[in-house]
Amino acid sequence: MTDDHEHYEAVVVGCGPGGAAAAARLADHGVETLVLERGPEAGSKNVSGGLVYAEESAPYTLDDLFDGFREAATERPVTDYYIHNVAGNSVKTYDLTDLHEHDTDWCDSVLRRDMDSWLETRVHEKTSATGGGVLTNVRVNGLLRDHGEIVGVTCDELEPIEADLIVAADGVNSELARDAGLMDWAEPEEWFQGVKAVVDMAPDAIDDRFDIGPEEGAAHLFSGDLFEDVRGGGFLYTNADSLSIGTVFHLDSLVEQSAEPHELLDALLTHPLLAGWFKNEYHEREYAAKLVPDSKKVAHRRPYRDRLVLVGDAAGQMQAQGPIIKGMNHAVTAGALAADAFAITRGTADPAAAGRRYTTLLEDSGTMAKLRPRRYDLARTVGERDTVTNAVERVLASPIGSLAVGNPIADRLLQRAYNSPFLVSMLPDTKTGYISLPTLIAEEHGKTIHWESDIEPPTLEERIGDLTYDTDVGNPHIELRDESAAASGAAVTACPVSARDFGGGCYRSEAVTTNGTEETLVSLDTQPCVECGTCAIVADTEWEHPRGGKGVEYREG
Amino acid sequence: MTAIDPDDHTVDELTAALETIDDADELQSVLEAERAGQDRATAREAIHRKLEEIAPASDAESDAVEGDTEPEGEDEETKADVDDDAERTDGDDAEADDAETEPGEEDGEDPGEDDVLSHPTRDKQHVRALEDGDYADMWIFCETQGGELLDVSREMLGKGRDLMDQFEADYGDQEAVVAFLMGDDCEALAEECIASGADVAVYHEDERLERFLHKPYTEIAAHMARGEGTVESTDWREYDEPRYILFPATNNGRDLSAKVQAELDSGLASDCSDLFIEESDVSNPVKTGEPGVKKTVEKVLHMKRPDFSGFEYSTILCLDNPNRDFHPQGCSVIPGSFDPMEPDADRDGLVVEHDMELADDWFRVGIAEHDRLEAGIDLTGHDVIVCLGRGIADAPTEGMELGLDLVDAFEDAALGITRGIVTSSYQFEGHVEAYSKEERQIGETGQVVAPDVYIAAGVSGAVQHKVGMDESDTIIAINTDPDARIRDFSDYFIHGDLFEVLPRLTEAIEAGETALEPEAVADGGEGDD
Repeated sequence: MTDDHEHYEAVVVGCGPGGAAAAARLADHGVETLVLERGPEAGSKNVSGGLVYAEESAPYTLDDLFDGFREAATERPVTDYYIHNVAGNSVKTYDLTDLHEHDTDWCDSVLRRDMDSWLETRVHEKTSATGGGVLTNVRVNGLLRDHGEIVGVTCDELEPIEADLIVAADGVNSELARDAGLMDWAEPEEWFQGVKAVVDMAPDAIDDRFDIGPEEGAAHLFSGDLFEDVRGGGFLYTNADSLSIGTVFHLDSLVEQSAEPHELLDALLTHPLLAGWFKNEYHEREYAAKLVPDSKKVAHRRPYRDRLVLVGDAAGQMQAQGPIIKGMNHAVTAGALAADAFAITRGTADPAAAGRRYTTLLEDSGTMAKLRPRRYDLARTVGERDTVTNAVERVLASPIGSLAVGNPIADRLLQRAYNSPFLVSMLPDTKTGYISLPTLIAEEHGKTIHWESDIEPPTLEERIGDLTYDTDVGNPHIELRDESAAASGAAVTACPVSARDFGGGCYRSEAVTTNGTEETLVSLDTQPCVECGTCAIVADTEWEHPRGGKGVEYREG
Repeated sequence: MTAIDPDDHTVDELTAALETIDDADELQSVLEAERAGQDRATAREAIHRKLEEIAPASDAESDAVEGDTEPEGEDEETKADVDDDAERTDGDDAEADDAETEPGEEDGEDPGEDDVLSHPTRDKQHVRALEDGDYADMWIFCETQGGELLDVSREMLGKGRDLMDQFEADYGDQEAVVAFLMGDDCEALAEECIASGADVAVYHEDERLERFLHKPYTEIAAHMARGEGTVESTDWREYDEPRYILFPATNNGRDLSAKVQAELDSGLASDCSDLFIEESDVSNPVKTGEPGVKKTVEKVLHMKRPDFSGFEYSTILCLDNPNRDFHPQGCSVIPGSFDPMEPDADRDGLVVEHDMELADDWFRVGIAEHDRLEAGIDLTGHDVIVCLGRGIADAPTEGMELGLDLVDAFEDAALGITRGIVTSSYQFEGHVEAYSKEERQIGETGQVVAPDVYIAAGVSGAVQHKVGMDESDTIIAINTDPDARIRDFSDYFIHGDLFEVLPRLTEAIEAGETALEPEAVADGGEGDD
């Protein structure tokens, strides 16, 4: 032991599903485990679209690790699964239940504050039995090194802590993964950004309007021209007494189109298709945003360094391939495998033995193959090249394209294609898959919807006003390094709590006259920040999380 | 002899194993083994828990020992307020009393024969350890800044007045409140001290004393306290040293208090928040001189101070030893702890100019440069607040000027701004730039104001801003956006451009018209209440 640092056998950073699974499994192995969570309660910093899967092929699921998980911590099981291809008011709907049920033991909708705080309580019970526990309001701000080797973590609130295993389950903006040099924020095309509204709806109204029983739930996906030329889609999931409705876009596409994420969400919320479910009642409980790693591109193939292992979003383990959107289940698997790897290699002299074994377990369990399908790597090399995309686009726009997609046989084939996990995992990330094809499908096969939507989603100002913040006055967690529009201007639109001509957001564009020349500068106020990490990628910033307990606090998540 | 080796056990197993041990020594050896071995915090806790469990019967002694070693790094020895056991009180400065508080043989010896190591004050030329000295009066160091008394100086004088009036009532002896101060020009301030409650004010003037300097201030204070100097400047008193002495717990006061009390060979209770004088029963043999005997000490200054960020209070006492006095009983006082008395210019009192040669050597350390930091802006308590928001974006400097013009038009108004301005990249010209800083921010993370009239120009009305001004009596908003959120909580809404509306408002108010009547402002747009 060096110095007098406190030492634990394992330190887990972050108490989301990945951290919880790792900690619970470590405790099962009798490992003294300390869990550090920066929120005032687990779940207060977490956002997800809202479906958690248990795959038949997965080595671990949440209900394996936490008895009674589904009864206590989830909203509704998803029994119906659809995708809607939208072109104007024309919508073509496919039943994707087959795809959804492929390899699925169960799938429930969740709200993260409830789910993660329940997990936190279980994790604390388990870990305190082996000499550890969960500490909230503690932000881990970096890695502790001894002669260049990672030996522990440093925190804003506590003295440095040493550990034989460090599990970085600190989410998509993992400061530990970046400190270790394993992840970066460099490329917008490696990320999605999601925004979500949790909307009130009485349980019987949900049952009635979605035609489901009280113990059933529905998931709807949306694609097509709803969002103009921005690549992405939308989702709607039923919770016990609310709906989770959100949109997810490729970050590079958001930046290219200078699109406003909250307006894209509003485009979905106000689409006539949803009017039939809202019945002109709309009360938004919470607006939230999150960055989503694209595992196809960033899932780390060797997510460890020395005693540090990365788990979940921190390692880029978020599978988003067309209508397949799975993140939490992979984080759980990874967390539990990391714990097993440590238990197996305990006592080995090589500090990286656990990380190496964890990598092997990720491969052997098939998890890495799901996250980074080789098929995609092959398809992508041709599929995403602009010339190919353009050629395909032209064919779709021509009468031949309509003919090909528009005949009844094609319709059946399309339904089969969407339901094939093999084909879906190959969908390249271009306009074709997201917009042109669905739009064409809707135009050719769709039914026209004649409802009108009268709902008025809250303004961005109201959405920010409804969020709960504990501002760390005088201590902003993001610093703008370059305030020129060229370097950081993209954040004004891409940031989910900023907008053009809106002074109450994080990023504002301002025309400033200095010595007679006018230039556009970007200014930053971190008070409305929802800590999604978008600006870390699209602007020139020094990005950190706020201190423990500070910043935004999600009630729903 | 260790019954169990903690290294062989997980914390859980260890906890179970500890259940079988009831002997404190044995537990201690397990604890040491743990410390030497894996040193797990949780394991240590488990052992400590067990120790506590078996402790109550046997452990009063060791408890007292632990209580004496405060983690604060302060000099004083403290005791929990809840436990008023005088046995454990011992307000001496550790620096001065290490040797003295050891009971036993040494007690009988002449302190002068102590070796240097065990008597850390031995080499100090100014130490005049007294035995059975005469003490009287409460001395108060009245700190000044920029030619004025600090508020805390008046607060201490007010408290000192109360304490010494009560002292006279309790003991029948009339003792004085003595203010002492120094500076380049402080005779008038000495007079002020009398008006604020002092009976005597001793001052030392020297142009070199304009600012606080560690060495000369300490020398003068000690010189004053000991009653040294010419007969004329000291014949008002007949005692060796002050009975009590108070310093402000300011940066300079803390500095001076530690040094002066060391010079006077006494102790110090730092950062106190309450004071009272009463007798104290003492049975600590170090203080009584005889084991097993209880002695009542009169006129003891009880000095309460917050510990552990105010979770607990300690009361510090500073008591004489049988052959060595610890006077003055001294402390530093947290500003704001006490109320000053209403100044009374007619109060009688004696102002004494202190007489002493100041050695040049004491001024070897001087102040080469100084800068007075802004005290910050207090926006509360004004009749009118004019608040500017990001509506000034088109011409920030002009917008600021217009806001300031309106502020000037009122008798008692101040300018506030929104967070949106503080965090903006607007380039303000020099003459208004100072108004764009955080110290003028109104809202959740700034100041909260509730003036009679709140004029919000170009403020959209975010929730975080509303929190800071919602309680204002009358809210007038000026905005180009008729849907701006601020309209929901304004009494009057002027739909218009602040660059046009503000000058007209200013003009109307300067003309003496009651500009707040809707008709006077409605021209700018629609009046809306």
